[in-house]
Amino acid sequence: MSAASRLSAGQRLERLLSIVPWVAARDGASIEEIARRFDYPQERLLSDLQDVVFMVGLYPFTPDQLIEVMVDDGKVWIRYAEYFERALRLSPDQALALVAAGQSLLAVPGAEADGPLARGLAKLARSLGLEGGAAIDVRLGAAPADIIDSLRTAESTNTQVEIDYYAFGRDERSRRVVDPLRLFVEGGQWYLFAYCHQAEDERVFRVDRVNAVNPTGTTFVPPDRRPVPTVYRPRDDDARVTLRLSPDAAWVPEHYPCESVERDGDDLVVELAVTAVPWLERLLLRLGPAATIEAASAGIPADLARIAATRLLERYDRGVSRK
Amino acid sequence: MSKLERLMNLTAALLSAERPLTARELRERVPGYPDEKASFRRAFERDKDDLREMGVPLVVEAVPGTDPIVDGYRIPKDEYYLRDPGLDPDELAALHLAARAVHFDSVSHAEALRKLGGVVDDPGEPGDLAALPNAPALASLFTALIEHRLVRFTYRGDERVVEPRRLDFQRGRWYLTGFDRLRDDERHFRLDRIEGEPATDDRDTAPPPVDSQATWRQPWELGDDHPVRARVLVDADQAGWVANELGEEVVAERRDDGSLVLEMGVSDEAAFRSFVLSFLDHGEVLDPPELRDMVVSWLRELSR
Repeated sequence: MSAASRLSAGQRLERLLSIVPWVAARDGASIEEIARRFDYPQERLLSDLQDVVFMVGLYPFTPDQLIEVMVDDGKVWIRYAEYFERALRLSPDQALALVAAGQSLLAVPGAEADGPLARGLAKLARSLGLEGGAAIDVRLGAAPADIIDSLRTAESTNTQVEIDYYAFGRDERSRRVVDPLRLFVEGGQWYLFAYCHQAEDERVFRVDRVNAVNPTGTTFVPPDRRPVPTVYRPRDDDARVTLRLSPDAAWVPEHYPCESVERDGDDLVVELAVTAVPWLERLLLRLGPAATIEAASAGIPADLARIAATRLLERYDRGVSRK
Repeated sequence: MSKLERLMNLTAALLSAERPLTARELRERVPGYPDEKASFRRAFERDKDDLREMGVPLVVEAVPGTDPIVDGYRIPKDEYYLRDPGLDPDELAALHLAARAVHFDSVSHAEALRKLGGVVDDPGEPGDLAALPNAPALASLFTALIEHRLVRFTYRGDERVVEPRRLDFQRGRWYLTGFDRLRDDERHFRLDRIEGEPATDDRDTAPPPVDSQATWRQPWELGDDHPVRARVLVDADQAGWVANELGEEVVAERRDDGSLVLEMGVSDEAAFRSFVLSFLDHGEVLDPPELRDMVVSWLRELSR
């Protein structure tokens, strides 16, 4: 049995208000099935039906005003419970949770447009009044259907794959062999958490930056406990940079995890972990005069923005790239 | 007499009531309350709280014909009863699977599914694909959307009166699309920028929503600079993720070397510049000359 072996009075009431209409609409539902469907310990269910529900009714509680519960050979019949003829309505949060979850999966590439999920969602939406133009759409993240599909298959069959990956932070394209451990979505992006044979460590990859997936033909043994992935966590040995930000760049600490943020007059002075130099180049080029490097680890030149800008200008100075 | 039995009897009494019942009447009609008046009150208050916490729509109304007015209680049937969507077992199972994969805030999907007939079988597939965040305004906007109500809220300091049309979750955020009555136009709102709780009023009904499309606007389309069409060349190594991120519709040309040319509307030059610079030296603005010059002079300034 599940966590429900000890239910509070409130939890029992919540479940019984759904069970009574369900059983009343069917003749002779089995106790075993009700217990399973509604997550109710079987013995407790039997006693609650016979000792509690059987005593429920309307004033003045004459026999004709009481709910009738009959149990015979592991089966239950409930009659005279008209006021409990339907379950309690879904709360707005519950309705939204179901619709949003359903729409999420429906929008995942590869979902059947007329499968059970689509049909169930359409019925649910109609019953809620989500008709006509009113709609809810959930797009978990943008990534090509075939890539998501191959990675999901590889994840569920423990198949090793070679991926062609563009590492945005390092601005580098490479092929690497990985064991896909978990595909997940966070903040509007699909991610693959995998053991990377090149890095000899676990890594998180952005699925929209995977250009191709090819099974290597080997399977792997997944770890007993698949660790909970996090999208980014600075490592102690990552380089660090201290930036002075004018008010135009005050959004930076809201978007990137900073090691420290200090106010200095109108400016902010922040320390950031730098996983790769190209990442910092992009940030500096974008911020322009709003950011200056105050201090940096070895390997990060203090005039990085100037160096990067000069490199980009060389391309522009060659003239427009016509065919 | 158990508390569970008392709560079930109370719910039955309130659901069947033809008119609001007073506390005194309920004490008489629902077995299991203490005799002493103050203890009855305490127990009755707790029961009401318990029912409301479960989402039972317990209303307080004046009992007709009382003067001075006496409060009465009932549960309106049309607010209590589930409008049963009549799901087939495979449809319920599919929803179960979806709810296990995509969590929404801290809402218990198990409880919601029990209302719809319970969880049929353990689908056995791995769950936990994504967790959708809630937003403070979401529940009330959702209610307004399905009940066709007008909503009023403050957005970036301005008052808005909006007929809700759709809610979209994109790029990790919730958006409302609706007809803005004060601006006489359809507008999009980021839920995290709505200040405070949106106000709805039962009397303020909106017409049933007309079809509106989810729009997925890019930062450089959101400004109020004079709109221009820009063309951007992106090298082969970056081509894959750019097309994924922006969609095929902005890809104007694919060259033999694997590079591609994007064509896009720009009404926020600063946002466009940030986007183009993210390619470092693997991309460049081709047209129009003004935007190319804008990027070049920005770089020129930084290279000094």
